[in-house]
Amino acid sequence: MNWFWRALEIAVGALFVYAGALKAWDPMEFSDDIDHYHLLPWVVSVRLAFYLPWLEILAGLALIFRRASNGAIAILGALMLVFITASVIARARGIDVSCGCFGHALRNMTFVWHLALDIIILAAISLIARQQLRTTDR
Amino acid sequence: MKFHSFAREAALLLSLAFLPAVGQAIYSRDAVSWTAPVAPKETLSVDQARALGDRATWIDARPEEEFNQRHVPGALLLNEDRWNELLPAVLEKWSPQKPMIVYCSSNGCGASREVARRLRTEAQLKNVFVLEGGWEAWLASNK
Repeated sequence: MNWFWRALEIAVGALFVYAGALKAWDPMEFSDDIDHYHLLPWVVSVRLAFYLPWLEILAGLALIFRRASNGAIAILGALMLVFITASVIARARGIDVSCGCFGHALRNMTFVWHLALDIIILAAISLIARQQLRTTDR
Repeated sequence: MKFHSFAREAALLLSLAFLPAVGQAIYSRDAVSWTAPVAPKETLSVDQARALGDRATWIDARPEEEFNQRHVPGALLLNEDRWNELLPAVLEKWSPQKPMIVYCSSNGCGASREVARRLRTEAQLKNVFVLEGGWEAWLASNK
């Protein structure tokens, strides 16, 4: 089953590299997306918009190439948790957020589908984390 | 031990990500609005938009189903789903003297900003504004 875990790591890593690259390409667009959540002041949103895409790319690459992959999993899991929480809070406050997690791609996806996709990604990250913990236990 | 390994690696990645981020921020420092989301001249309040009356062209950037339910009288549908298909009708209506006001469902949605940005950059139109508060603000002002 090792190939399964390796494939899952590469798939999740590649997904974050792709998502990060889309956002790094247009940080102003991503700043707007963060700002639409109405959770952070603009000065923070715009700085995060420059930082988070590179963090996703680095963590994704770390997972693909198995360098600092424990740290990568911790970061990606935390990012997904924060993102899901922010989406739910924004939705509860009646804010019609356009996610922005994949730049322009998937922009027109409904909230429910976004949430489902995020939960699937978080579940995949959790599975990889569990597998890594088991491996290091041996 | 395991926690230390996770934390150490995470700290390494968190620090490394600063390098390209800071580099990119420095490179694009003049193109970025660091203190405000959108320059004030790119948005209009509902009152300002109303004051323009028939002199403005309204663009509805919401999904077609919402547009079909109700929209600002005379508004044209233009969203990213059917951009290429709907753009010609918008361009036909455009005139340099007539401002375009783009709206989506509320202040939180990004569609109007995106459509306005594409009208400015891709279609090279001037006088394109985003309606502050979107459709919800428009409805509220009608009450």
